[in-house]
Amino acid sequence: MDFQKFVIILMSSVLVNNYVLRQFLGICPFLGVSKKLNQATGMGISVTLVMLMATAATWPIYTYVLVRFELEYMRTIVFILIIAALVQFTEIVLKKFIPALHKSLGVYLPLITTNCAVLGVTINNINDGYNFVESMVSSLGCGLGFLLAMVLFCGIRSYIDDKVIPESLRGLPVTLIAASFVSLAFFGFNGIVG
Amino acid sequence: MKKQSNWSILFKGILLENPVFVLILGTCPTLATSTSVIGALGMGLAAAAVLICSNVIISLLRKVIPDEVRIPCYIVVIAGFVTLVEMFMHAFLPDMYDMLGVYLALITVNCIILGRAEMFAGKNTVGKSALDGIGMGIGFTLALLAMATIREVLGSGTFAGIPVPFLYDNPISVMKEAPGGMMVYGILIAVVNKLTNGKLIKKKSFGCEGCPSAGICSKGTCENTAKEEG
Amino acid sequence: MKKYIKSVVALTAICAVVAILLAAANSITKPIIDKNEAAAANEALLVVMPNGGDFTTVDLSAYELPASVNEVYAASNGGHVMKLTVNGFNPGMVIMCGVGADGTVTGATCLSSGETLGHEKVYGDKTVGATVDTVDSIDTVAGATKTTAAYKSAVKDALNAAIILGGGSVELRTEAEILADNLAAALPAADGFTSVFMIDTIEGVDSVYSANNGTGYVVCVGDSFVATDANGKVISEGASTEEKAAATSAVATLLSWELTAIDLSTYADMPSAITAAYSTSSGNYVFDVKASGYGISGDKYTASGEYIYIKVSVTADGKIITCETVSQKESDGFGSACADASFYTQFNGKTAETYKDIDAIAGATITTNGYTTAISRVFEAVNILKGEA
Repeated sequence: MDFQKFVIILMSSVLVNNYVLRQFLGICPFLGVSKKLNQATGMGISVTLVMLMATAATWPIYTYVLVRFELEYMRTIVFILIIAALVQFTEIVLKKFIPALHKSLGVYLPLITTNCAVLGVTINNINDGYNFVESMVSSLGCGLGFLLAMVLFCGIRSYIDDKVIPESLRGLPVTLIAASFVSLAFFGFNGIVG
Repeated sequence: MKKQSNWSILFKGILLENPVFVLILGTCPTLATSTSVIGALGMGLAAAAVLICSNVIISLLRKVIPDEVRIPCYIVVIAGFVTLVEMFMHAFLPDMYDMLGVYLALITVNCIILGRAEMFAGKNTVGKSALDGIGMGIGFTLALLAMATIREVLGSGTFAGIPVPFLYDNPISVMKEAPGGMMVYGILIAVVNKLTNGKLIKKKSFGCEGCPSAGICSKGTCENTAKEEG
Repeated sequence: MKKYIKSVVALTAICAVVAILLAAANSITKPIIDKNEAAAANEALLVVMPNGGDFTTVDLSAYELPASVNEVYAASNGGHVMKLTVNGFNPGMVIMCGVGADGTVTGATCLSSGETLGHEKVYGDKTVGATVDTVDSIDTVAGATKTTAAYKSAVKDALNAAIILGGGSVELRTEAEILADNLAAALPAADGFTSVFMIDTIEGVDSVYSANNGTGYVVCVGDSFVATDANGKVISEGASTEEKAAATSAVATLLSWELTAIDLSTYADMPSAITAAYSTSSGNYVFDVKASGYGISGDKYTASGEYIYIKVSVTADGKIITCETVSQKESDGFGSACADASFYTQFNGKTAETYKDIDAIAGATITTNGYTTAISRVFEAVNILKGEA
């Protein structure tokens, strides 16, 4: 059952193997940007879009070019260049044709090149042996999982910021500890798939 | 940037500007590969090797690389070294290669390496850049080892695979998992803050210079981000 | 413009240098990686065949192997290690099985994850030493019904494949498939067959099948399949005169069969397992029986809550003519074997004294016990109907 498989991939990448909370991929922007809801959402959506585009570009190139010419070892370089080019290109296109969208999403795009979640998802798709459609579904799932983590955590951060916290714990330490509890909560999704 | 002696360049990476606990760079591999001391050591040394090599090469090429394409150039150089490390590790340390998995390839986008290329190697001489790379590499490895020691001893009850009495029979397995990693990391940063009375955290420049994406981002967001992080 | 060109040239040059360096590095490390991986793969195969030595991949295009066999590796000690895909708790379970040169299983293990942890290991060990003849009688692992069934079918296929690879031949079709092929060959006009329930013995005839579309009957006389039309006229030309006569009379007999329903409410002692009873014109009885197998008595998470429904014809002196399972919802792959002809035909010809002499269904004790208990009720019912109870 193809459909069943897609749902399994989707659920597992959004909830069970959430990139941010379970695999630490893309944790820099998670800790950095996730204080304001609109920022968190903007970043999350941008990452999802870039992940989808990156997968759409890297999967065929890996399968039909790199594997064919036995250049698998060039994977990391080729993927990161594709991602960087895609991000630049998207920014230029958005700026020129949809300025409104560029205003809301554009600022996050440059940060995404070095977001390890994007490179991570493209490499993982290859490592997991997914076909093209499965890869796209998994990228969508990872992006949505990232968005979910960002939005969830955004609420928690604005709550923390109002509290009196010992000086040494202020800022990042308490954020990380809070993130650890959110991550613990995500353990509840274990076993939801398969 | 003020003049720095070679010694201070070498040592600042280990404590004063420790990339993990003070500059808060490279969080992703720090959390992901610090479940075991052996894995942490492998990750630390792999990243250090990439860091030193890329620092040297980027510093060598700093006058040749045009400013506009410097980030892509840095990325290519870094990705090249990462792939080299990957290949040799796959060939000679296959167990370690399997253990590190995707995180090995992700050294490419490790903020520490791109950050050092941007902040230091792109502006300094080869010798200094190499020292910076060595210092940061050692700092990164030591920080990873510290995290990994805590997590492995508590989480698996072993140290580098050697059983620790009592804890081996009563492991706190959540320490091996994601929440334990974030918890230990948060507490360690707090401890470093406490020990230094918060001096380090203020000393570090959280402006755009400290941000690995500084070169390609619009200043506004970056400052925004930086403020939040501070 | 000059700036642009400079940028592009610099980036291209760096990419080119890096690519050349990587290609050089790759040429050094690739052979080592390949060698390591080959060694690791060899080691993985040794798990199921500890004395296998070195393995070489076998080209499968030259053999007709069971469909589940994906890869075969020949060991230097003459055995084979196979990777097979079967359906376990999850579809697409990959099992690796080693078969030694003497045709016994040297080990089996599950390669794909997803099975309930632990059980597969237990089962893999149980298969060691099994041969084609003993594979069916391996014990089931409690609580891992489907995994066990998957292992069993994989190991069986591996054993068969080993025989074929060794130059032997194996009938890959199941008994049911062979029968279906024979029937279709005898009466090509039919679109499938139903076994005719024999309420009386017909001399010289084992069984009769009727075509689902009413085009005729196929009568099994000894080893021959004789086709007749709906009125009993023999169509098969190759049959001998005796076979033709037997077939004609058999169809005529079964066309003359009549059943008279018996009102069970008049018999107060009638066992509740008997749901309906009929008497035949020749003085035999036919009973509809329900049996409490695993579906009724098993634990609530796996049991279906359904009885096994059985149809039995028996002579007035208590000898079973035909026994047939009508429907069942027992555990798939285990108790469900009670619907196989190889199980229920064992009761044919049995009496109240001998009905317990049958081979139980492997791994389905409760189903077998429920079934035989229901059969014992048939003998009681015959006595009640004859007024002897």
